[in-house]
Amino acid sequence: MTEDRIGRSGFWFLASGFRYDTRTAWLFLSPVMAVLGAVTVFPILYSLYISFFSLKLTRPQRVPFVGLDNYLQVVQDDVFWDAVARTALFTVVSVTAVALIALLIALLLDQSFRGRRLLGALLLVPWAIPSVANGLMWKWIYDSHYGALNGLLLQLGAIAHYLPWLGDPHKTLLLIANAFVWKEVPLAAILILVTMKAIPADLYRAATVDGANKLQRFLHITLPSLRPGLMLVVVYVAMVAIRQFDLIFLLTEGGPAQASQVMAWQIYVETFRNLSFGTGAALSYILALATFALAYFIIRTLGQRL
Amino acid sequence: MSKPAGSRRAPIGRRDFLKYSAAGMAGAAALGRVRAGLAAGRPIEFSIWSAAVDTVKSHLTAFEAKTGLSVNLSTAPWAQYRETLVTKFVGGAPLDTLWVSDSWLPEWAEAGWLSPVGDFPQLTAYNSDVDDFCVKSMTYNGQQYGITYYSDWMGFLYNEEMLSKAGITTPPESWDQVTEQALKIRQAGLAEYPVLLSFAQETWLIEFISAMVFSQGGRLVDDKNVAVMADPEHGAVKALRWAVDAVQKHKIVSPACVETGELAGLKAFGSGQFAFGLIPKYRLRTLNDPAQSQIPGKAKLMLMPRGDKGAHATVGWMRFYGLTSQARKDKARSAAAVQLMEWFGGKADGDYRFQKLLFLDVGAAFGVKSLFQDPEMRKAYQAFGDVDLIAKQQALAMKKDVVAPWFGEWNDLNGAAWQAAVVGKSTPEEALKRSADKWTELKKNA
Repeated sequence: MTEDRIGRSGFWFLASGFRYDTRTAWLFLSPVMAVLGAVTVFPILYSLYISFFSLKLTRPQRVPFVGLDNYLQVVQDDVFWDAVARTALFTVVSVTAVALIALLIALLLDQSFRGRRLLGALLLVPWAIPSVANGLMWKWIYDSHYGALNGLLLQLGAIAHYLPWLGDPHKTLLLIANAFVWKEVPLAAILILVTMKAIPADLYRAATVDGANKLQRFLHITLPSLRPGLMLVVVYVAMVAIRQFDLIFLLTEGGPAQASQVMAWQIYVETFRNLSFGTGAALSYILALATFALAYFIIRTLGQRL
Repeated sequence: MSKPAGSRRAPIGRRDFLKYSAAGMAGAAALGRVRAGLAAGRPIEFSIWSAAVDTVKSHLTAFEAKTGLSVNLSTAPWAQYRETLVTKFVGGAPLDTLWVSDSWLPEWAEAGWLSPVGDFPQLTAYNSDVDDFCVKSMTYNGQQYGITYYSDWMGFLYNEEMLSKAGITTPPESWDQVTEQALKIRQAGLAEYPVLLSFAQETWLIEFISAMVFSQGGRLVDDKNVAVMADPEHGAVKALRWAVDAVQKHKIVSPACVETGELAGLKAFGSGQFAFGLIPKYRLRTLNDPAQSQIPGKAKLMLMPRGDKGAHATVGWMRFYGLTSQARKDKARSAAAVQLMEWFGGKADGDYRFQKLLFLDVGAAFGVKSLFQDPEMRKAYQAFGDVDLIAKQQALAMKKDVVAPWFGEWNDLNGAAWQAAVVGKSTPEEALKRSADKWTELKKNA
């Protein structure tokens, strides 16, 4: 049996006379695989299974098989489509803002100036703050009675009296996106900066000799060379944004008047408040598929152009 | 057969297999004996949320000393209590008695997790000494499911000093007068938004809504569980219209009310920013405590303002000791659990000892009428409120009419509908129609 065949067909060689070192590797891996199977693979498959049942925890006696009804029920509900629209808006705004701000910061940190290292270290602070602490901090900042934002704007004379920031349904989602962007920018900036550092200096020197100005060097050398880093940032931030829950939970609980009810919040309400595990699982699978589809779309389209 | 070391482990032989099997069976038998032993002296499984835990433990110690029974107390945070207990019920975890909120009763009774207590006279004997809304809140489909733990109601409070500065000597009687006085206070520059409403989407919201509707003489749902909230004759439309006008037209309630929860509202009222506030009555003690409030001695209770057809009614809520169906199946278990329930919810050694402990230690209110005549309780109440007015308002409290098996699902949408009207995204009529339609749909599908 060749190494190549071993690599391609795991189960086949287990049943035959396979090599000692390969067998030992499987032996050592098997406990981890068993644990992963129990805590990851099984729950994923089981949640798919229960999405075909009308499983409500408070009605344990009656759990009928309903096939795809949970999925149909979800997609026929206007509340779901409203949540999809809000999730899309939140994701687009967040990804765009994170990518642009991170790019600008990376460009700044790529320059040589005094205090660059200190600035780079300070930049990481928002990223290092735990999600819950970040949410609570923004809750204090936005509070309508004693919030720092109101205090600051009032002292600057920008507002005449305290405003209900999170209480305004037209502003709520954008304010949550702002808190999200603040947290996600540092990692994105570092990823872009690392990619930027890898661009050969010769390219810039050659372009300068050819008469290219700064903007032309940025558009024709920097930006195309940043493609791997930007792709990573866009895909990562989009996947985190589309599933955003922590900030919604801490800041608004989906309100006011459902103005911040995104898909992840709807899944939480359906599963853990209404205890409707069947429809909650169906919603989760729809969100998972949407996340995969979005990542695929970004890689296939944006990835080609950048 | 021997194998070279390190190549392959020796297989288990037939003798070894028999030896290990015998040892395993002996071990299992021993474990079974231990389990049987535990079952014989099994403690009462008692579950509560994390409130007044030290007070509960001290009263439990006295119970164990007096009866010789042992109790296994488990706690869970209030925010996760329902989910924790539902999971325990579904998983078949041992549970005998527990704290139950009136909001969960239909759901848990329908699921068969709670057992009626109507045939335990030692528990039902207390009904005559308990406020009517308390007994009703523990009753579902004509069956009583427990004995009182604590109960309270939504009160309308005012800042006496602020009213006095505005030249107002008598607090308002009606919602119209609340508007008039609030406008006067606002014009005097004493408060930007004189009235506090806490309309954030949280568990308290339904209590705030119900209190306003009941004070208008209205109902959200009638006795046959038919949604009447969209009917202009049933008070909900008037209550929501008042809230919408207060925010948008008169500007006496802050538009930030939709992001103000009960706790944030309490802090804001305690900081002296408001003249009037719809606040759970037990907060009166905190608001008049110099260590916790900036308006000590100035927060006063008045009867709920009434609407055209109202009579100062408010909403009451109830937490009670429930008996589980699994305990009910075993005579000895249920007898022990009922003994514990009476020790806490009824009299212990001839006195409502735990109700008094709860009130004196943590300020948790009681639904026992005779305790309003108890000199110790009156003295404690008098330190921060008018005990006779409190008793009068308590007698006008009504149970939440929307408590049904589908309450949780409806409640989220209803809260969002009220918020939508308050922020101007819909009219009160549209919001309440949406709420009523959802109720009808959920009822039909139940």
